[in-house]
Formats: sequence, C-alpha cells, structure tokens
Amino acid sequence: MNFVLLFLITIFSLSLFFYGRSKTKSISIEKNIRLNALPKFYGYYLVLWCSIPALVFLLVWSLFEPVIIKSIIIETAANQGAIFGDKNEANLIYEKIKAIHLGTYFGDMDSILRESALAYAKFINLFTNSKVVLIFGIIIASVIYSLKKIKNNNKARDDVEVILKGLLFVSSLIAILTTLGIIFSLLFESIKFFSVINIFDYLFGTNWSPQRAFVRDASSITAAEFEELKDAFGFIPLIAGTSFIAFIAMLVAVPIGLFSGIYMAEYASIKVRRISKPIIEILAGIPTVVYGFFAALTVGPFFRQVGENLGLTVSSESALAAGLIMGIMIIPYVSSLSDDVINSVPQSLRDGSYAVGATKSETIKQVVIPAALPGIIGSVLLAVSRAIGETMIVVMAAGLAANLTINPLESTTTITTQIVMILVGDQEFDSPKTQSAFALGLTLFIATLILNYIAQRAVKKYREKYD
Amino acid sequence: MSNIKIKSKNLNVYYGDKQALFDVNLDLNEKEVTALIGPSGCGKSTFIRCINRMNDVIDICKVTGNIEMDGMNINDKDLDVVSLRERVGMVFQKPNPFPKSIYDNISYGPKIHGKGETKSELDQIVENSLKKSALWEEVKDRLDEPGTSLSGGQQQRLCIARAISVNPEVILMDEPCSALDPIATAKIEELIDELKKTYTIVIVTHSMAQAVRVSQKTGFFHLGKLIEVGKTEKIFKNPDNKMTQDYITGRFG
Repeated sequence: MNFVLLFLITIFSLSLFFYGRSKTKSISIEKNIRLNALPKFYGYYLVLWCSIPALVFLLVWSLFEPVIIKSIIIETAANQGAIFGDKNEANLIYEKIKAIHLGTYFGDMDSILRESALAYAKFINLFTNSKVVLIFGIIIASVIYSLKKIKNNNKARDDVEVILKGLLFVSSLIAILTTLGIIFSLLFESIKFFSVINIFDYLFGTNWSPQRAFVRDASSITAAEFEELKDAFGFIPLIAGTSFIAFIAMLVAVPIGLFSGIYMAEYASIKVRRISKPIIEILAGIPTVVYGFFAALTVGPFFRQVGENLGLTVSSESALAAGLIMGIMIIPYVSSLSDDVINSVPQSLRDGSYAVGATKSETIKQVVIPAALPGIIGSVLLAVSRAIGETMIVVMAAGLAANLTINPLESTTTITTQIVMILVGDQEFDSPKTQSAFALGLTLFIATLILNYIAQRAVKKYREKYD
Repeated sequence: MSNIKIKSKNLNVYYGDKQALFDVNLDLNEKEVTALIGPSGCGKSTFIRCINRMNDVIDICKVTGNIEMDGMNINDKDLDVVSLRERVGMVFQKPNPFPKSIYDNISYGPKIHGKGETKSELDQIVENSLKKSALWEEVKDRLDEPGTSLSGGQQQRLCIARAISVNPEVILMDEPCSALDPIATAKIEELIDELKKTYTIVIVTHSMAQAVRVSQKTGFFHLGKLIEVGKTEKIFKNPDNKMTQDYITGRFG
C-alpha cells in the first residue's frame, strides 16, 4: 500500500510540475504581467507542496501505526480474558495474532486468539483506509493552497529557496541526531556495565578475561561472583596491546610515509608523480581484510620461520606481524597527507633558503620540514587514530589472548579485537560480558576523538600561518 | 668610473619553448645600485635570477650565453652554486622569513657555509647583520621570537639581514618594496643607500620614482630585450630610445 501511495504522490508531483510551469506561463501572457519567478520555479513550488506534507504524514503515520494497533490489540485480547504475566508474553501473543492474520501461524488456536485476529484484521483495514483518505485529503488541501498562491503570482523563487533550506537542515539534523544516538547508546550500555564493574577496576585492572562472566542477570550477582568478576575486566592489557601494535605500525608507517611524501613533493618529476602517487594510494584502497589474511597467513608464519631459524620463539600470531602490516596499510595516509602539507609550504621559503646557498636537502631539512611540521604531526596523529581503530588486521593476525607483554614476538590483543570476540556468536544482552563491549567501544571512541581533535587543531594552526 | 663587477654577454634564457631573454648585454658596476625597470613579464627578474643561478630551481629553464662575475663564468656547468650564492645574496618580492626565530633566520646562512663556529662568533654575525639592515634596535631584545611575528617592513629588513649575513659581494633585490607601505619602503630605500657603500646592488622595481631615488644606473627591459641602459639621470631625463621615453612618462606599461 505504501508503495502505491508513494508512486501516486510521485506521479501527482510530476504532473503538477508541468501544470504549474505552463499555467503560470499562460497567466503571464494572458494578464500581461511580469512573473515574480521563472515559470519552472512555480513548477518546483507545486511539486514541493504536493509531496512534502504528504510524505511527512506518511512517514509519521507508518511510525506510529504499528505501535497504536499493538496497544489496541493487546488491550482487546486482555478484555477477552487473555492472561500475560509480563511484557514479553504480551509481545508473544501479539506476534501470534499477527501471524494468524498473515496465515503463517500453525500453533494451537483458541477462541481468544481467533477473536483477536479478527479484531486485528478489522483495525488494519480501518487504519489503511483512513491513511489513504487522509493522505489524499492532505494532497488536495496543499495543492489547492499552492495553486491559489501561484495564481496570485507569489515569489515562488524565494519560497522554493526557504523550503530547500529546510530540507537541507533536516538532512544535517538527521546526521547529527544519528551520531548523538550512537554516542548515547554507547553511554547507557556502558553505564549499565559500570554499575556492575567498578570503573577503576576496569580502567586499572591488569587482567582481561570476560569469558568468566557468564552470569545470567547482572542484578542477581552474588558476592562471590562479584569478587570473581571484579578482576575479569581489566582494561590495561587491551590498551597496552592496542598502543603497542599501533606503535609498531607507526614505526613502519611514519618514516616510509614521510620520506615518500617528501620525495613526491620535492624530488619527483611531474611524470613520476603522476604515475607513482596513484600507485601508493592503491594501498589505501586494499580492503583491510585482505591485509588481515596476508598478515595472518603469510607474514606471521614467515616471522615464525625466521624466528625458529634464529632460535627464537615466535608466536604465529604476533604483535610484530600485525603491526607491520598495519603500518604498511597506513603508509598512504601519512604519505599523501604529508605530501599535501609539504606542497603547501610556499615556494618563497625554499627560494629564500636556496638564495643563501643551501642545497636542496638542507632546505628540506631545515626550512620545509619545520614549516610543515604541525601539518605532519597532524597527519601522523590521524594515522595513529586509524591504527587504534583498525580491526580486521588485528583480529586475524594479533591473537586473542590478553597478554600484558612488550615482546613483539608474542601474541597480544587489542580493544577492537576484544569487541569483535565478545559480540561474535550468541550473546546475552544483560550480561556484563556483552556490556563490556560497549564500555570498550566508548573508551575507544573517546581516545580517537581526542586524537582527531588534537590532529585537527595542529593542522588548523598550520593553515592559519600560511594562508 | 667604478669597476665592472658583473658582465653579461649575449645572455639568452628560455622557459621551455618560450624565450624570456634575448641577447642581453649588461654591465653592473661595483658598489653601485643598478635599477632594472620595465613592464611586467619583460625579463628583469629573469635576468637577476641568472646572476645567482636561481633559475636552476626551475626544471624547464635553460640559460645560454655568458655572464661573468670578476671574470668567473657564472653560467659554467661545473660552478659550485653554493659558493656562488654565498657571494651573491638575494632579497625577494614578498618578505619570506623562515618560520624560525629572528636569530635562527640570520644564523641560517652562516651555519650552512660553516661561518661562525662558536656561539659568540655567530652572535656577532647576527648582531652585525641586523645592525647593517637597521633592524637591531627594534629586535635586539626579542631575538628568539619568530621572524614571522615582525611587521612586513621589518620582515623585509630581516630578509636583507639574512642576505648579508653570509657577507656577499652582490645583493639582488627583486621588487623588495612591492609588498610594503610607503614608510617601510622609505626605510628600505635608506638602507639601500647605506648598503651600496659595501655591496654591489641590483634592484628590480616597478616604481620609477624608486629607481630615480636609489640607483645610479638604470636598465630598461621590454619583451625580454634590454632596450636601453645608462646613468639613471640620463635615462629619466633624456633617454635615447623612444620606447624608454614612453615607458617612463607612463604612456604604456
């Protein structure tokens, strides 16, 4: 039904566009007046008036219709003598009634269910009919209103402008509200988690073993269980592993990325640049899962082999392999950002340096890089926040055990890996184990937020200086 | 008549396929200010950039012909550009101090050329350069502030101080006052008058009044050719060439 309505609204709107355009044209010729806008704006005006109120109404209706019908049906079922202890049982009965209506219910049938299903069918019918009637009413009302407006030669250009501004505003509002929604859902679940686990036990605990927390209901934890849980959610090994892998990644990405950025910006001829820049940027386009199995299946075993030959114990899932591959993945970010930053150092500074007799490398080292430094730091920080948030490579190559270690040859784990491990497969939503994923997510979010903020400040500071 | 410091002979410059200078023959006298005037794009900047080989920076630029300083061929492929630029300093159109402290801006050149090995020697060089560029009194208490914090006119004097810090023989100035207000310009012009006692100066300028005020010799360029060169007084009072006459009286350009 909704699709038919949408289709009709579209058809009406389109025909109104052409109608409005030709109508205003003929009015202007007939009465010999100057229109306040181009004829097509009157067409747009009609389209917007015909479609937006109807669409908004349809949206609101579709959001509230199921809720209202559900409450009515549950109430009628209760009136007929259905007994349900809590909300879940009421939901179950409602789903049964819906299934009967759709003809997909094959369970036991009693009179209550049958009666309710009939009532449900009646209400659905009623609601659909009134929806159609109301929508047509709205369309007719708004079309009459807008037709009257354009007959009076309104300033359609300005009116369309106002409506479009409103539409754009609503779009950005949706984006902002979604972000806020995500943050708040993280926050609320984390608060639930922290009501069971002390925040200091979480932040400063050195042991991470969430699988211990198979407590069914957070509210019914006994004192013994609580003691058990207390040191199951220590954040330290995770942040240590995350920072350690990110650090190895930066050891790889910063020198190579920076040097290749310098080469691209300062030394490469236009021809070399045109060919090699896209090639480097291809690195950024490789899906991380591909890097992940490259790290897990090629690099990890290779390191273990080399380690064995040297008489070292190397775990086949090692921080080194994950960090190395992650570093390679990040090279293009560092390289292309620092290339841009170096390029925007004004040529006049280089000229000034050459003019006192400095060579190219002296100029780069002593003038260009210091001038570009805030921007370079910004690009490195962006790369760090990317490394911290990276998931696929570490899931596949870093390992799962939360070892608190600084040996790059041992396996270690990261925040993102643990979130994946916690939420893969079956889980219960009110166990502290599941909720800990939200706490981890929140922590990760705050960490990258701070890094991004600092990075953007650094980049901005740099921009102010030279623009 | 003073000595000839720099002598160009049949100097041609090409940017790719485009020829920017045509057979320029121009002599620059020692310890004198030579002004180069002419409409935009006439090749005057290109000419002075040949003197310290700054055109090397531009890949597509090709220079042929002869340009000599004290008998040494500047255009020689084997010439050490670093030591050439030690002898020929340059000041640019827009003040371009490095994003470093005032002190480091000046000590940059001497350090590159291995001058001023001890801190006190370096201090001395910085002080002398700033004094010569008439900036010392204004900045002596804040040498560690960034060079970019100075005003436009001060920045340009800082750049002049940077140029003289390596003790050059020639200073090239490419429209050094075009980004400055009249008061800052007056200060720079005063400074040029002072500097010509020690250095040979070539200044490119769009201001004819400035050329008259600061220079002893003037060359007029047009479309890559040196149209006329002579004593400043003569060029501005009684030029030989009709085109020069038209340019200085503002009929074109």
